[in-house]
Amino acid sequence: MHLILVGVSHRTAPVELRERLDFQARGLETALRALADSGATREAAVVSTCNRAEIYAVCDDIQAARSELGRFISQFHGIEQAALLPHLYDLVDLEAARHLFRVASGLDSLVVGEPQILGQVKDAHASAGQAQTVGPLLNRLFHSSFGVGKRVRTETALGSGAVSIGFAAVALAKKIFGDLKGRNVLVVGAGEMGKLTAVHMKSQGVSRVTIVSRTMAHAARTAEEIGGASAAPWEEIDAALGASDIVITATGAAQPILTKGRIESVMRPRRSRPLFIIDIAMPRDVEAAAAEIEQVFLYNIDDLQLAVNENLARRASEVDRAEQIVTEEVEKFGGWFRSRGAIPTVVALRQHAEQIRRSELDRLAFKMASLPPEARGRVDEITRLIVEKLLLTPTEQLKGLGDSETIHTYTEVVTRLFGLSPATNDEDRDARHRDKDNVEPFRPASGSFDRRKTGR
Amino acid sequence: MNAVPLVLYVAALVAYWWHFSRREPAVGRTATTLLVFAALAHTFVIGMKTMEIGVVPIISPSSAISTFVWLLALGYLYTEMTTDERAMGAFILPLLVALQAISAFKSGVDTAAAPILQGPLFSIHVLSLSLAYASLGLACMIGVTYVLLFKEIKAKQLGFFYARLPSLQVLDTMNQRAVILGWVFLTIGLIAGFIWTPQARAYTDDPRIKAMSLADPTIFVAVLCWAVYSFEAWIARRMGWGGRRTAYLSALAFVFVLLNFVPISYFLTRSHNF
Repeated sequence: MHLILVGVSHRTAPVELRERLDFQARGLETALRALADSGATREAAVVSTCNRAEIYAVCDDIQAARSELGRFISQFHGIEQAALLPHLYDLVDLEAARHLFRVASGLDSLVVGEPQILGQVKDAHASAGQAQTVGPLLNRLFHSSFGVGKRVRTETALGSGAVSIGFAAVALAKKIFGDLKGRNVLVVGAGEMGKLTAVHMKSQGVSRVTIVSRTMAHAARTAEEIGGASAAPWEEIDAALGASDIVITATGAAQPILTKGRIESVMRPRRSRPLFIIDIAMPRDVEAAAAEIEQVFLYNIDDLQLAVNENLARRASEVDRAEQIVTEEVEKFGGWFRSRGAIPTVVALRQHAEQIRRSELDRLAFKMASLPPEARGRVDEITRLIVEKLLLTPTEQLKGLGDSETIHTYTEVVTRLFGLSPATNDEDRDARHRDKDNVEPFRPASGSFDRRKTGR
Repeated sequence: MNAVPLVLYVAALVAYWWHFSRREPAVGRTATTLLVFAALAHTFVIGMKTMEIGVVPIISPSSAISTFVWLLALGYLYTEMTTDERAMGAFILPLLVALQAISAFKSGVDTAAAPILQGPLFSIHVLSLSLAYASLGLACMIGVTYVLLFKEIKAKQLGFFYARLPSLQVLDTMNQRAVILGWVFLTIGLIAGFIWTPQARAYTDDPRIKAMSLADPTIFVAVLCWAVYSFEAWIARRMGWGGRRTAYLSALAFVFVLLNFVPISYFLTRSHNF
């Protein structure tokens, strides 16, 4: 059996195509059932986010599964194969496992280290579980990926620091005020940027958002768009400043509207209560000298962008450590995955031994006919135990083998020594070739999916 | 005996620094575990000493420092466990290690206490001041971390401390609580001492008891500390002072506390050298 991944991501497909390949839109379970009905795979799971649509499957024939899965994606979403194929990629066996581990740990995300992806991978596994399309291999693969995602998050700083202006502003506010619940936010200006930052703040549970604009109607409209916010007239800006903890300024004024003197006069009655000002206007709305006031924390858009850039750089510096963790976990998973190659031989060996035991008992049946039923039962049990004990060590040895070459050699020897059926070792033979170079771009053959044998 | 807790405090210090630098949760848990073991070992040492001499070993300067370290460790562990915040361990542990090292390498002799030192007032005096100094030590370290974080945010250089310390608001609140708690114990300890001194003078001609006045450096600095912390508590309440200014005050006042602990109690005092 092989593990195969076929899909598209932000690395291979533009957003126009990705949004058409959204499995979530039509329901993951519908897709999984359709996939199961197609008979192309033994097990299947779909990871579908705004940045990727990937099918992880277990199959017997890599080439056939590659073609079938590509065709399935095309037909399920009603997209011409010719339009889809240049963007599809496929990976098999341990490279597919490595890819999922990288996805779950955020290494393959558009914003490296973003935290949502691990939950999305968990959801993908849960949906496949509900649709009953996962079996032992995908279960093991996905559970391993959860562990990798958690390890990368706890052992590296890959997910640390805000990487957007809005989140950077929220992170800074939290570093100053702790919990933002109960804090008051003032938005000066009714523009889009101010509104978006206020929405970020609101999502953190601030108690009040007040919009102040030179045109009251604009302020009222923005407050309504944010939801749960209120508007105040321009003349009340000083009173609103005094009552606020966080101020977002985003007007189109040519001159600073919040001067150092004005903020000083507002700060006096506040005593030592901090004031966090986020000036995202261009030109700036707040006089730079206002930053000198004790307990005033003034950040403009460049300051926030700098913080974002530093966080991105910090995340990038953690990539190597995260990749190392992924490699370690792929090796662990690979050990288990390769040991599966010996299973058909183990099964054949045990069936062979059981067959011999049964035939010998049948041959001696007439001699044991005079024995009472209890004694015959005892003989059956003893012979079974002898076979179990004889096979215990070879079974453990075969299951514990590490690499494909050794597995192949051992299974060949066992097959020949015991005269096992050659058909039982197909899986093992495939396993021998698994780890050589199993990454291959998706190659269609003139309008249809390539059905060549891998030959690897 | 004090060497065992010292070794464990050093191990905990290394673990807290490692955790502060690398932020690995497993190292953080190890650091806390080591500190818990250090505090337990220290409790055992103090318990054994108490059984040996019949009173809590707080008479000699070394013992007083060791008891202070023990209380500060317990106070810090309580703070860490209630706030789930380990970053300050990297700042508290150096103080614990330095003071415990002084106590371990310059051991004083705690003999059975004289009858005059066995009354309840004296016990209240010493225990209250030990608790006060432990709280004020915590306040100082919290204040230092506040200033470090404040400077980073103010200068828009969101770096080392920004990534590791809790919010300014949390640090400010913790600092103010520690100062208030320390001030209350300091007040109780000083009042108990002022009531106890004339009573003691009536019973003994001991020159150390006779020397107990504001002119004695230990008593003078203790009262000076009380004045500084009173000012800090008052100004925070009445004038709304907080943040960086109270953090600086906490750090400054604790310098006086440390002065009282090491140079003054070892070399200068004429009254507090039992």
